[in-house]
Amino acid sequence: MTGRRASDIDADAARYVARMDGDDWSDAQERELERWLARDPRHAGALLRAQAAWMTLDRPFPAQSAVREDTGVRAGWSRRRVLAGGGAAVAAAVGGGVLLFGGTSYATAVGEIRRVPLADGSIAAINTASAIDVSLDDAARNVRIERGEAWFQVARDKRRPFVVAAGRARIRAVGTAFSVRRRAGGADVLVTEGVVEVWADGAEGHRVRLKAGSRGFVADDAAIEQAPAAPSAIDRALAWRNGKVDLAGDRLDSAVAEFNRYNRRQLVVADPAVAAERFDGVFRTDDPEGFAQAVEVSLGVPVDLSDPAQIRIGRPGL
Amino acid sequence: MAAWVTEHVIPHEAAVRAWLARTRASQEDIDELIQESYSRLAALESVDHIDRPDAYFFSIARNLLVRRLRRARVVPIEAIAEIDAFQDDMRPSPEREAGSRIDYRRLLALIDALPERRRRIVRMRKLEGWSQREIAAALGISESIVENEIYHGVRAVQRAWRDGEALSAARLAAFEGGERPR
Repeated sequence: MTGRRASDIDADAARYVARMDGDDWSDAQERELERWLARDPRHAGALLRAQAAWMTLDRPFPAQSAVREDTGVRAGWSRRRVLAGGGAAVAAAVGGGVLLFGGTSYATAVGEIRRVPLADGSIAAINTASAIDVSLDDAARNVRIERGEAWFQVARDKRRPFVVAAGRARIRAVGTAFSVRRRAGGADVLVTEGVVEVWADGAEGHRVRLKAGSRGFVADDAAIEQAPAAPSAIDRALAWRNGKVDLAGDRLDSAVAEFNRYNRRQLVVADPAVAAERFDGVFRTDDPEGFAQAVEVSLGVPVDLSDPAQIRIGRPGL
Repeated sequence: MAAWVTEHVIPHEAAVRAWLARTRASQEDIDELIQESYSRLAALESVDHIDRPDAYFFSIARNLLVRRLRRARVVPIEAIAEIDAFQDDMRPSPEREAGSRIDYRRLLALIDALPERRRRIVRMRKLEGWSQREIAAALGISESIVENEIYHGVRAVQRAWRDGEALSAARLAAFEGGERPR
């Protein structure tokens, strides 16, 4: 940083705010302000902060935390958007269909998230571009994930184990909540409540118990990896249930891969140098444009929105 | 934009400053990083896509800090630890909510602490809805004097939001002492 100190700039900004607060604001004053803003990029930030600080005296502070969604997403003006955007997709999906007997299939399109109540009282939330089969009878509750990811809140019923199959992976629960994501080469399991037992089909002898707050990966070769995860990490990984992508220090390339699960308009990292940048924030799954703009602003990376089929982040060869 | 910042960003500024202080950034550096972060916000065409403004603002400041540290020769070990741990600070928590709520009462106290004429003018302007010209006429002083008093009022509020730091930092430290030993 060169030039004037931040505190001097703040004083200049306060001077402009006091003048704008007055009754006469001439064209000449407007031009002077424009010149001042153009002189140093920090000036716009100082002016914004001074204006906002001065406005804090206007009225009692809005009760930001008075309205909170159970997801912890801050309400306020964003509440409208949550309801209109991601929330609507989730809400509309409720009531997809109640299962009785035999197998029932559910599939979601790209960007769609469905919440399905099952006949035994369990709930399934089905993520984007996924397909599951559910079959409930007196002796067993079986779910097969053909592709994609689903989270289950399992109703307690000791007589009927709840078993999810994803490729070779098997996950058994009594009363608990967990998600399963089918991937190339295996399945990811995230446990949010209780305990589940995981194994690979054909290798029933090797079973691993996963507790709430841990994640496991069951590989197609029957290897099982497990790792404890911070509760916040599990919540973030399951933010899709509320139509959100929640990033905290994630690499840009993996964040982009996450958005691309939900949208036909694909994000492309054109500059390999920025792929490893870390990124934070909570975004709607259906708003890759907003995410790209946030990347542009906070990493200072150019973003090209001109192509309706994709969004390019960064310029190659720079 | 300014209204959005008033509602969603300013209340969290002290927490971001406290976090920057824990990375051993100097006061001058903190002031600059905060100012740069606001400049990034000012450059946004729209804020519609931001669901968690506090996290977003935090993220901007963090990325600016990381960029600055990359250029620095000597990076304090605290900075690395804090940058890695920072995501824990971004989770919504009752403490953070409370930290951003008490401030209106403190601002009223701040107005009351201003010198007599300034207090009267700021109260008339902000709480009672008089214009600067009306205030000048009512008090029999020039508009430029009123504007100058308003200027000092703006300075006081700027400082209040900056120095909210001390209080929040103490609260944060107390909270972390119990929850998350470092």
